Amino acid sequence: MKTQLNRRYALVRLGAAIAGVLTLPVARKAKAAVQNFFVSSGAPKDYDATEHKWLMCLDATKCIGCGLCAEACKKENDVPPGPYYRTWVERYIITKPKPGSSDTRGETLVDSPDGGMHGFSGCPVPTAQIEQSFFVPKLCNLCENPPCVQVCPVGATFKAPDGAVLIDKTYCLGCGFCIQACPYGARFLSPVTHTAEKCTLCYHRTTRGLKPACVEICPAQARIFGDLKNLTPDDPLRQFYENNRTQVLKPHLGTVPRVLYAGLDEEVR
Amino acid sequence: MRRFRLPPQILRLVLLTLAIVGSYLVARTLLTPQSFGQYGWYRGDALGEIASRTPVFAGAKACAECHTDVAQKLAHSEHKTVACEACHGANREHAFNHDVAPLKVPDSYCLRCHEANPSRPKWFKQIVVKEHYGVTCTDCHLPHQPTQTP
Amino acid sequence: MTGALTNTVAEAMPAFTGYVYPNEATAHPIWSVLIVVYPYITGLVAGAFIMASLVRVFKVKALEPVYRFSMLTALAFLLCAPLPLLCHLGHPERCFEIMMTPHLTSPMAVFGFVYAWYLMAVLLLELWFDYRHDLVVWSKTETGLKGILYRLLTVGVTDISEPAVKLDARMGQILSIVGIPSAFLLHGYVGFIFGSIKANPWWGNPLMPIIFILSAMSSGIALCVFNYLALTWIRRRQVDMRCLDAMAMFLFYALVVDAAVEALDWLHRAFAAEEGFQVLQVMIREKLFYTLNVGQAAIGTLLPFLLLGSLQLLRRRVPELVRRRMIFSSAVMILAGVLAMRWNVVMGGQLFSKSLRGVMSHKFEFTGGEGWGMSLFLLILPFVILTVLVKLFYSERLPASEPAAQAGGAA
Repeated sequence: MKTQLNRRYALVRLGAAIAGVLTLPVARKAKAAVQNFFVSSGAPKDYDATEHKWLMCLDATKCIGCGLCAEACKKENDVPPGPYYRTWVERYIITKPKPGSSDTRGETLVDSPDGGMHGFSGCPVPTAQIEQSFFVPKLCNLCENPPCVQVCPVGATFKAPDGAVLIDKTYCLGCGFCIQACPYGARFLSPVTHTAEKCTLCYHRTTRGLKPACVEICPAQARIFGDLKNLTPDDPLRQFYENNRTQVLKPHLGTVPRVLYAGLDEEVR
Repeated sequence: MRRFRLPPQILRLVLLTLAIVGSYLVARTLLTPQSFGQYGWYRGDALGEIASRTPVFAGAKACAECHTDVAQKLAHSEHKTVACEACHGANREHAFNHDVAPLKVPDSYCLRCHEANPSRPKWFKQIVVKEHYGVTCTDCHLPHQPTQTP
Repeated sequence: MTGALTNTVAEAMPAFTGYVYPNEATAHPIWSVLIVVYPYITGLVAGAFIMASLVRVFKVKALEPVYRFSMLTALAFLLCAPLPLLCHLGHPERCFEIMMTPHLTSPMAVFGFVYAWYLMAVLLLELWFDYRHDLVVWSKTETGLKGILYRLLTVGVTDISEPAVKLDARMGQILSIVGIPSAFLLHGYVGFIFGSIKANPWWGNPLMPIIFILSAMSSGIALCVFNYLALTWIRRRQVDMRCLDAMAMFLFYALVVDAAVEALDWLHRAFAAEEGFQVLQVMIREKLFYTLNVGQAAIGTLLPFLLLGSLQLLRRRVPELVRRRMIFSSAVMILAGVLAMRWNVVMGGQLFSKSLRGVMSHKFEFTGGEGWGMSLFLLILPFVILTVLVKLFYSERLPASEPAAQAGGAA
């Protein structure tokens, strides 16, 4: 009985080994065929993502609210028409306090008609009642600790080595978790690709030595873009963060946003 | 001492479990993309794919390559920070193929930036259209040298 | 922008009051009604399973008659659980990625593994051990398609001797013990998905997974009550009042603990009155008024609390028929209330802006892959599956496996 069992075990083991050897090349071919499905063609071949660290900063004291940046972004990145914005401009109107009250400020009105992409015509509040008013351009905050990357269940969104937070369109499931997790409202679900989408820092431009479309178009130099790993002494980016008292949006959430703002106000969220 | 024999139902279950876990591991090696994990928990090829999109705006540097005289005038005027395509629109096709006509600038385009708005910074030059001579902008201003008259 | 495009934009822009980030002004929420249905279904699974575990782990003899039925209920609902997720995904054909490259910093990434573990290693396995004796008997006596199914399910093992059946009971008990934390994980991770979102003050809260689990337990027990009463009514059988009274008692205490922790959440919000509190008040008043105050609080909590609570105090004095009616209506109200609670959590978090300055209005359609119609279908489907399971496995010819029950009781 024992020798019978031993023989049976030996035969089974031998059979499994032969089967394994025979199927190996077939398995390899199958694996390659399946993985070719995912392999893509390249892009700028001479770009090394580990040699750059891009950053955009915003000077809200200079923004004139023309909205050319939001419009240019939509054109450059083929963003679907409708409530889908990779960058937008907000207008803050802080009114004077009611006569007789001991408040420093009245109501704050915030608006962003079509993301500001057609500019801001007219003003809902008469000039005499305005205490402070300004524009704030918004975009992905390039967080060092991005909650959107943290919550992606499959690894479709990621922080690239050069600082941009990107989305892999062919891998994204469209579950929407990252859109819920972003505190800044920078992401949206594209009705065209059914995946998440967001500002890519015009990755296809920065990898070719061009500036993002919004930075290129801004007539007021409110958007400052540069490479933290290749700063010249008179780089506008360096001048911005060396000469300004800067703030970030929602610092209490611990996302460590890298996009620096100058000229924010306590009312800006 | 009696040889330990696994009860038959447990043995079948163990084999079934091994089969399920085994097929999962095989599927995982087959279906995980090749470049996954190259730089982090994502497909490394995605960087190339995202960067391979064709740009739409040419950039002011591209315009200056041919339109050097205009670029010169602009560089010494108040509009030196304004990109060509901010007014002239995305003209990359024209930059690559000069037979393609550049986009025209609409007449009242200047008002996009210069119409008076209380939210604009106070130092920024703005006009209240009704109170501003009631003519076309270009009657008195040169777009590339805005403080000079034609 | 052309005129046609402007019209599209105008149509796409729904109403909102105050200020919302431009990306938040979509016509539909990101997480639709299907994402309300999914936690509801997994909650029912977890709750039904926990109630069944009361029999095996805590030796509550009174609940023995509903043990098998509760397990089948849990199975029927668990089989339907991934469907709302698949319908909701922008790319359901990529769903396997969650098992191939799970990003372990994300609570959602554990779904594939927790679901597979719970379905195969806990629920199906425990059911199999409990049914094994009967499956072997049925495989020998049944013919046709049913017979093939039973033979397949025996996995070729036909030993139903006394030690084998004892082993089955022992394994069933171990799996029950393992199953309790597994059930908490299955539903708790969903609560954690919401609780982990620090960007959203309505969701990001350490109490969220606990509230989800506790409301799951009360909804699961309520479902078992509902199903048990429905089944006995369909089969024209006598209701085991001892069993029903025990279920009602557990339902009451589950409801009390659930209501207490939810009340704690609200109390803390009101007390701390953090930055988002104002916009949340506006959102609740304008968008969740009926679903919260009427659906979740009054119908879902207060009324069942009064009905079941009075039964705990006055049980012997209340005639049997009245008791049955009170318990049944409480169960139905709790089921509706917990669904309302899931709605309030999921939709509430998407009806106010993260700018904390505005409140959105979303459109909800009936048709389409993510509409009401699909949600209704997905809520009815588990009952259809349960009917099939009952027909196959809840036979009246063979009583609930008594040798196993005895062995389980003695072990």
